[in-house]
Parts: sequence; structure tokens; C-alpha cells
Amino acid sequence: MAIRTVIIGGKAGEGVKKAAQVVANTLFRQGWQVFQADDYQSLIKGGHNFSSVSFSDSEVHTAYAKANLLISFDQRSYTAHSEDMADADSLHVYNSDMTPEAVQEARGKTLGLPLSTMMKQIYGPGGNVSLAAVSVFFLWMGYPQAELEAVIAREFKRNVEDNISYAKAVYQAARQAGIGGSQIPDSEFPLISMEQSVQRFTSGNQAMALGAWLGGLDFYYAYPMTPASSILHYLALKTTTHKVYAIHAESELAAANMAIGSVVSGARTAIGSSGGGFALMQEAFSLAGITEAPLLCFLASRPGPATGVSTYTAQEDLPFALNQGHGEFARIVAAPDSPQRAFSLAAELLSLAWEFQCPVILLSDKHLSESSQNLTLPDEVPWARVEQGVPGSSYQRYSITESGVSPLLFPGSENIDDNTVIKWNSHEHLPSGLRTDKAEAMIAMKDKRNRKSPAISIATQRHERVAFYGEQGTPVFAYGSGVMELREARKHCSKPFIIVALIYLTPFPSEELSVYSGKEIITLEHSSTGNLDRFIRQNLDVSIKHSVLRYDGRPFDPLELAKIMEDIL
Amino acid sequence: MMRDLGTGKENTWCTGCGNFGILNAVKKAIGELVENGSKLSDFAITCGIGCHGKIFDYLALSGIYGLHGRGTATAQGMKLANPALKVISFGGDGDSLGEGLEHTLFAAKRNMDITLILHNNGNYGLTTGQFSPLSEPGYKGLSTPLGSIEKPFRAIPLLLEAGASFVARGFSARPDHLTELIIAALNHKGFSFIEVMQPCVSYNNNYAYLNQKVKLLEVIPTTQAHAIDLASDPDHVYLGVFSRKNLPVYHELLYGSANPQKDRPDYLHRQDILHAK
Ligand SMILES: Cc1ncc(C[n+]2csc(CCOP(=O)(O)OP(=O)(O)O)c2C)c(N)n1
Ligand code: SF4
Repeated sequence: MAIRTVIIGGKAGEGVKKAAQVVANTLFRQGWQVFQADDYQSLIKGGHNFSSVSFSDSEVHTAYAKANLLISFDQRSYTAHSEDMADADSLHVYNSDMTPEAVQEARGKTLGLPLSTMMKQIYGPGGNVSLAAVSVFFLWMGYPQAELEAVIAREFKRNVEDNISYAKAVYQAARQAGIGGSQIPDSEFPLISMEQSVQRFTSGNQAMALGAWLGGLDFYYAYPMTPASSILHYLALKTTTHKVYAIHAESELAAANMAIGSVVSGARTAIGSSGGGFALMQEAFSLAGITEAPLLCFLASRPGPATGVSTYTAQEDLPFALNQGHGEFARIVAAPDSPQRAFSLAAELLSLAWEFQCPVILLSDKHLSESSQNLTLPDEVPWARVEQGVPGSSYQRYSITESGVSPLLFPGSENIDDNTVIKWNSHEHLPSGLRTDKAEAMIAMKDKRNRKSPAISIATQRHERVAFYGEQGTPVFAYGSGVMELREARKHCSKPFIIVALIYLTPFPSEELSVYSGKEIITLEHSSTGNLDRFIRQNLDVSIKHSVLRYDGRPFDPLELAKIMEDIL
Repeated sequence: MMRDLGTGKENTWCTGCGNFGILNAVKKAIGELVENGSKLSDFAITCGIGCHGKIFDYLALSGIYGLHGRGTATAQGMKLANPALKVISFGGDGDSLGEGLEHTLFAAKRNMDITLILHNNGNYGLTTGQFSPLSEPGYKGLSTPLGSIEKPFRAIPLLLEAGASFVARGFSARPDHLTELIIAALNHKGFSFIEVMQPCVSYNNNYAYLNQKVKLLEVIPTTQAHAIDLASDPDHVYLGVFSRKNLPVYHELLYGSANPQKDRPDYLHRQDILHAK
């Protein structure tokens, strides 16, 4: 079935994203496969924001730039999107109070409605123009007014009566202007009931937070930084129901060091930030390395360096993620290739961190972290287990073992007697955890830690370290949201290609990729210098025929990317 | 009899260093607390980096030797994950009022139920005596050969202002008094802060000065203004408790009487929560 797209645009503060969420959620509850992406600026009022919701009866991996239904709350949105109609049947509904002289668009139909005047008539001062978008969408889909009222009452809790009056007024006005039920088959309400199902509609950040929690997460420490902030917000909301504690610390330095404190007390703990904040966590990342603290770290990238572009997407932080911290120590770095993967990967990584007592990084980017998609809850995820030591005066936190993993005990837990001393240390240390600078002791402890690396490499093979999409054609290597873009573009590309999605980056999945040795490949990433290229070349003997680089902060439109792929394949 | 709290590790503090007095007072305080019913296994320690931090290696207690400046952040994380722990953070003046000032102030602001013992030796001992946030103007060190041109912080007024609910000052050369303060701090529910005047024989030997200036506070000052005046008195170094208040503590505001370490939902419970309507 065809893929349809609804785009809603307006000023920050007009509820663009909220309207899109209601649209996306309604579609999701109807049984559609939905993808929602939000393009917004780092400001609270004004500017131009727009949200895109693409949907189909099969999985949609990223949003489309051209819309079947466009709704503009203001002049700027009207102008910005006047070229963004998908086809002649597309419809652009705009606010005629804000856009008095609409021009005839290149294709599609336009309809001006006095959204602001109607709002004033119903609410007096104030009001919520975003409801208008929901109304227009309902009518366009052919959904009955009664269902619209129910959704408005459920989703917009403030000022319910006026909201319903306004939504009804817009619905009626749009109907009188001739917008009918849509041509989309099976759009009657309700298609199926999602209430009981194992599907959720979540953002990448929500998925990774929830997945980590299911795998055992107890504490999350962070300092807000887009696009990682919604992990903090989401977990904070779950405090009561999920018994997970999300702490907004005074800084990233605080967050990371508090987190390691909680690990010492036995809590499964995570931290998260974007590049700038993650840079501040580096010393603590190394602390996790030398103390062998299992610590899950979410790194959600945006364009850098430094403050960069706060609310847009990038994959510039690959080398930063791979080389996080100073000094030598084992770690795992992996990047989900969808919000769906983010859920299971977060749990996998948390459990690997505890199995091997090392820091792990889940690397994502704004497009993956903040876009929402259908999520199917997996039956099982790995559970972060602890290899328990034996309490008593002979317990040593850093006992020298064959595997390099020293069993753990936690101060103050029930099995701990007065003679058990559990000492973690940021200095190089003896098995007892006491500090040392002796040559042989240094070698022994470094060797112990290093022995974990081969086992980590083998253990990661329990999981899907590389995903392949497609059967034949040139291999195209990508990771993170690059994979999502390619999967959607592949639907429209006449020439075949296989997507090689790198999920585990460190340790490098050589076993899965050895078949490409000596072959020609293409790469795609959101970077200006080709980080992924360099990373692949370091690890694999391939010749890179073409690198698709994008670094304007925007995700690819699948149709645009399909054209690019046809040109280079 | 309680076991020995020493580790047998070779002590590398300079002979005569004030840190010895602090170490002995901590051992005695914990000994007395255990005698009065506290569980030794419930004590946990952390520290920053500096001469003060070495106390971690000389105490056979569980915990983590943290990063420079970050001990009090780490201490808060330890406490939150297991509120049954009595957590002590040992800090230096460079460590806790310079590199990690934010964590000191925020632990006080939150009334986090932990104890911070500040080893105030007026300089960066371990890195060869540079000036610290508490050094007096004119202090000459390797980084300030012409004398410090900065005014120092006053630790106690700073902590009172930040919201610490127990604030005291001790002197490493008055170990019995210091022991009492540490016991009171560990018994206090809420954030407790002890500034310990700790002479550094190598870079800031102020024994004579302190011995001449110290004076015991007779009562706890009744107002914050009075406490601040006494703490900043140029003629005396007052020792004793400057403030003690009963205020709600962070972890109880966060999760009441629960203990996240003991009450964590297991995997099946989490599956149930996940699928609950
Ligand atoms: C991030 C970091 N910066 C710098 C240092 C070097 N360093 C170690 S101790 C110290 C200062 C110690 O002064 P203070 O905290 O007053 O402790 P003291 O040695 O006087 O007890 C410094 C700067 C370090 N270990 N880590
Ligand atoms: S340098 Fe000063 S603080 Fe450090 S051990 Fe020597 S006397 Fe003590």
C-alpha cells in the first residue's frame, strides 16, 4: 500500500509537535505503521517548527518530505512548505487569517480556513490552534466527528469544552469547504484495537530507556541536553510505577560520578547526554574503566563541535564514542539501527556491562532518538546479572581471575558481614582495591582487565551485531538513523543494494563482515569528513566506491535518497 | 571487640601532618558508634584525590577512592542506591571547594544524608603546595610566586548558605573534640559538614597559629547570622557545632522509606509492570 504523509507546521508554542503526536497516535491505534519526525528550533516561542507523520500498512523507517496533507498555522509555514505537496491530490490547509493572499501551488489543492478567527470566537483570548490540525486530519481520513471529540477530550486536558467546540467548528468548516472522506482504504474507525497488543508508539529515546529498565535499570543520572533529555524526562515520569529513579544532577560531571557511586552500591545505573555533556563525563568514563564499574552510557549526537546545532541530527561523534575516556580499558560501543532495536540493545548492553564490569555506550543520533515509530515489545530481553563474590575477610574486589572478571559484592547488602571490605579504586590498585604503583602489580592488574576483551568479543556474538537488509546488489554500510533512511529509500530505488547495518562497533564484528573483504562498498553517514569510512577501513580491507555524506542536520527524504542511490549504483 | 580499622598499608603522610589526627578521630568515632549499636558493614567511604584522599587506603572500610573533586558526587550516588549506608566523603580544600565545589554545594542544598569531612590544610598538599580556594591573600606557592591575589572562601558560611543542616569545625590536633564532632555528624540525619583545620607541615605549617587562635564554641549559635559571624571571626578560630537543623532528607523525599537495593523489581515483576494497563 502507498505511504501517506501528514505535515503540520507553525510557530514554536503553537503545539505543532503535540498535534502531530495526536495524529500519529490515532493512526497507530488504528493499526497503521507510523513514523513521526519533529523538526524544531532551539527556541520556545516563534520561529518555524514542523512535524511529519508518514504511515502505511507496512513498516515505515523514516518520514517523507512531501505531504499528502499539509496543515500550516502561519504564513511562514505556508511559504516554507508550498513546494512540499506529494501529488495533485494533495491538500494544503492553511490559516487564512495569517496568510491572506495564498498563491496557487505547483500541485495539489489549497484551502484557507480562518483558524485564528474561529479560535477567538470560541475561546476569547487564548486557545489552541493545534486542535485545528487534528480536526482537519480526522476529516481528511474520513473519521467521524464523535471519534474526534473523544480523542480531543483524551489528549487535551485543559479547557475541554472549548477545545471540543473549536475542534468541531473546524471539522464542520472544513467539511463545508468540501474536504471529504479520504481515498485511503480501510480507514474507518476503529480498524483494530491496539489496547491489548504488544505494540507501543515510542521515540527512540523512550524505547532505549524502557528497554534498559526491563533489563534491570534502577538509576539514571543526567543533565539535560538535547537530544538526550527525553530519556531523563521519560524515566522521571516512571518513578512511581516502575521504581526507577531519574536524577537531574547539577552537571554531567556530577551525574557520571553519582552514577558510579550507585554502581558501587549495587544499582544498575545509566547516564546520558549529547556530545558536549558527554565530553564532561569523560573522566568518569575512565573511572568506570579502571574501577571496572558496569555503566550504561547513552550518547545521543547532534551537530557539533561544542554547542553546535542543538535540535538537529548528526553522526559526527563516532570517533568520540569509540575513543571515549583516557587510558586503556575494555568497553563496548553499539548503535541501534531503529527505535525498535534501541529497546533490545539497551538491555543487551546493560547486561553485557554487568557481565564484564565495563562501561558501555549506546550511540544514537537526534533523528533516531527523537523520532517515534511502532515498537513491538520483544518477548524477552537479557537481564543484567551479577557474579557474586563470597563475603568474608578474604574477599577482594579485584581478585585476579582467569576470565579477568572479579566477583562483586556491595557494601551494606544483607549478606555482608563486618569483616568484608569492598574497595573500588580510581588509582591503579592491588586485588584488595588498595592503591599501588608497583611495577608487577600494575602489570598484573592491567593484564587482568585486558583478559576480558576476547571474552567480550565472543559474548557480543550472542546478539545481532550486524543487520543485513536486502538480498543482492552493492553493499551499503551505515549505522544509526542512516540505516533507517536507506531502508526507506530502498523501497523506491530501481537498482538493488544490500544495507549492511553496523550495530556493534566495538568490539568490531569482523566475523560477520569478513565476506566483504576485498570487495567494493558504499557508505552513508551524517558527517562532513567520513568518520565511518575511516572506521571501516581501519577494520576491514574494502574499497569504498562512494561515500554519501550529509551534514546539514537534516535527515534524508527517502525519495531524494533513492535518487542519489540510483545515480551512484 | 570490633576489628582493627587499619589496612596495614604503609602510611606516606609527612611526619606531623594533621591528617593523622583526622584518621585517628575517624577510627575512634566509628568504634564508638559500633559499640553503641551501629553495624560496621553499614559504613562506606569515598574521597577525592589529594593527601586527604590517602585516608581511604588507611581505613579498612568499603567504598570507592574517587576522582579529584568528585568524591561528594560519588557519595551521593552510593547513598541513593542504598540508604541504609552511612556514607562519609573525605575532601580536600582544593578538591571539595575548587575542582568539585558544585558537588559540595549541591549535596548541602539537597540535604543529602551523608557526611563530608573537609581536610582544610589551606593548600594543595599532594601537588606541592599551590594555593587553594581557602588560602589567604599573599599565600606564596609554585603557581602564585608573588603571593595569591584572590580572597579565600569561608567554608562554613558557604555551606550554611548552601543549606547544610549540620555544620561544624574541628581541629586535627584536638582529636577527642574532633571525634565527638564526627560522631554527632554521623548521627545527624541530613547533610553534615565538618571543616577540619589540618596543618600541613610541609607547605602550610599553621600549628602555632591555630593553637593560639582556636576557641571552643560554648553553645550552638541560635541564628545563621551569628553562626556566620563566629565562623568568620578574624581573631578566633571557633571549634564546635555552628548549626544543627532537622530538615527533610533527599532520599526520603525521592522514595520514602523504600530501599532501591533491596526493593528492586525483578525481571518478572518488570514484565508485569510493562504489560500492566
Ligand atoms: C582532574 C584532576 N586534576 C588535577 C589533578 C591533580 N591533583 C591531584 S591532588 C590535587 C590538589 C590537591 O589539593 P587538595 O584537594 O587541597 O588536597 P590535599 O592534597 O591538600 O589534601 C590536584 C590538583 C587530578 N588528580 N585530577
Ligand atoms: S604535604 Fe602536607 S598535607 Fe600532604 S602529607 Fe605532607 S603535611 Fe600532610
